[in-house]
Amino acid sequence: MNKIVINTDTGKHKIDRHIYGHFSEHLGRCIYDGYWVGEDSPIPNERGIRKDIVKALKKAKTPNMRWPGGCFADEYHWKDGIGPREERPTMINTHWGGVTENNHFGTHEFLDLCEQIGCEPYICGNVGSGTVQEMSQWVEYVNFDGVSPMANLRRENGRDKPWNVTFWGVGNENWGCGGNMRPEYYADLVRRYGCYCRNYPNRKLYKIACGPNGADYEWTDVLMRQMAKTPGDWTFDIDALTLHYYCVSGKESRSATKFKESDWFAQLQRALVMDELLVKHGAIMDRHDPEKRVAMIVDEWGTWHHVEPGTNPGFLYQQNSLRDALVAALNLDIFNRHCERVRMCNIAQTVNVLQAMILTEGEKMLLTPTYHVFEMYAVHQDATLLPMDIETEQYKFGDESIPAVSGSASLDGAGKVHITLSNTNPKKAVEVSIDVRGSKVAKVSGRILTAAKMTAHNTFTKADTVKPEKFTGTRRRGNTLSVTMPSKSVVVLELS
Amino acid sequence: MRESGCKGCSASVRLKQSEVDRILADYLRENPAPLVSDVTYADRLRVCRDCSQLQYGTTCSHCGCLVQVMAKLRDKHCPAPQAPAW
Repeated sequence: MNKIVINTDTGKHKIDRHIYGHFSEHLGRCIYDGYWVGEDSPIPNERGIRKDIVKALKKAKTPNMRWPGGCFADEYHWKDGIGPREERPTMINTHWGGVTENNHFGTHEFLDLCEQIGCEPYICGNVGSGTVQEMSQWVEYVNFDGVSPMANLRRENGRDKPWNVTFWGVGNENWGCGGNMRPEYYADLVRRYGCYCRNYPNRKLYKIACGPNGADYEWTDVLMRQMAKTPGDWTFDIDALTLHYYCVSGKESRSATKFKESDWFAQLQRALVMDELLVKHGAIMDRHDPEKRVAMIVDEWGTWHHVEPGTNPGFLYQQNSLRDALVAALNLDIFNRHCERVRMCNIAQTVNVLQAMILTEGEKMLLTPTYHVFEMYAVHQDATLLPMDIETEQYKFGDESIPAVSGSASLDGAGKVHITLSNTNPKKAVEVSIDVRGSKVAKVSGRILTAAKMTAHNTFTKADTVKPEKFTGTRRRGNTLSVTMPSKSVVVLELS
Repeated sequence: MRESGCKGCSASVRLKQSEVDRILADYLRENPAPLVSDVTYADRLRVCRDCSQLQYGTTCSHCGCLVQVMAKLRDKHCPAPQAPAW
């Protein structure tokens, strides 16, 4: 028997809603022919932005959107993307395979998208090939309400009031395609950029430095050391370090939808590496910043499969199965459990690229299993993390094993407890006994995401193959719940 | 983003004919499906070549597919919104 104990009266830390954030890059069909179809498109749109996508992202309570990259951010020059669209220069997006970029989706369009969704923008500045002046002026253009060259230029382009954007990234992957920098050099650049990105009235910036790639612990250590005057005392107001970790698929196959149990196991095993990364990077950060003033932001994460057969390899368009849903659930539970340090995450990417929420084909649109996990898990946003002890059986495959049961729990502002659980075993249902302590449980309801096959996925002709259903596998006796979780499933429970 | 081995950063959206041929052959081998006649295939590709949504001579911007692959398949249709051309 698997046993879980949840204490509802001892929660200390908030699960920041921004953990459920997104990332949208100028890559493949994420922006163009994804969100952006243009004002003249027969596809229903609001100022060029697809209405059906906005509606879906609102429903999932999308809290933020990172843009314009990714690798693209470090060759993006924001002034190319403002003013009359027909006058904007066309450039070559060299990071993503020589794509022609006409700059029709720029600062105004992105911030309009965020306003339509109701989410906060997270803008990543250009450090790799840009200048301090360029980024400083972008902040001025977006956030300054007074009279200045950039604020006046914004008004000339049709926007009177500033957007007051809080989240600003200082470069992307500067250890790699963002400039191939050493951490010592980048740490100095962050201080310089941070100095000139001004806090205008009514908007204190939240400045985000490029952190490590996966298990590059040296990068974290150097940055934390060089940007602090003394341990725990920051010289400049850098608020967060990022982490990028992709969960590359496959043992025998890298297909998104044609794989065996060996591939299923390997993928979930790699997803769980996220916990180890957060523990180890967190320990380094704790040495320099025991008060946890600097956040860890996982602003690129998700699965990476082969592109769908017959599609352009440079577009990174991949399908999304129940396996991706399990990866999302495992990672979101990990982020929740680390919420004292992890305060934002951005899955890659929202539409048509990598582990997408949404796929489009012409006017057709489908919601992926990953989308459904995000929608189910939205109950944790800004709730208080509840301590949860899990005793779980192992899901064994060959000589290796991973925990069968994973989960997290939270208490929301209305006094409701939410528990999310995953069963990673694709062949065996699991029984879970949950002991809820600290408050009385009167009622339990739930939803489940599962399917008959582990490769199940949604297509444009069968868009509802994998979707949440009412969950009836819970029996309550007092404050003890007995939950029967089908194989390969994700469950959310609401206790009131 | 950077995958290990950095496929993304090095992959080009501009494909050589040999790459298109390989992708088509791989697709047909792994996804056996009814095909159109050579005449219909040529007609479809002619429409695609004249379409403003064709990118890099190979790729339909509506779906990201290589038209040389999709036009070959009997049950596929032009994905242009509300007005499919074939």
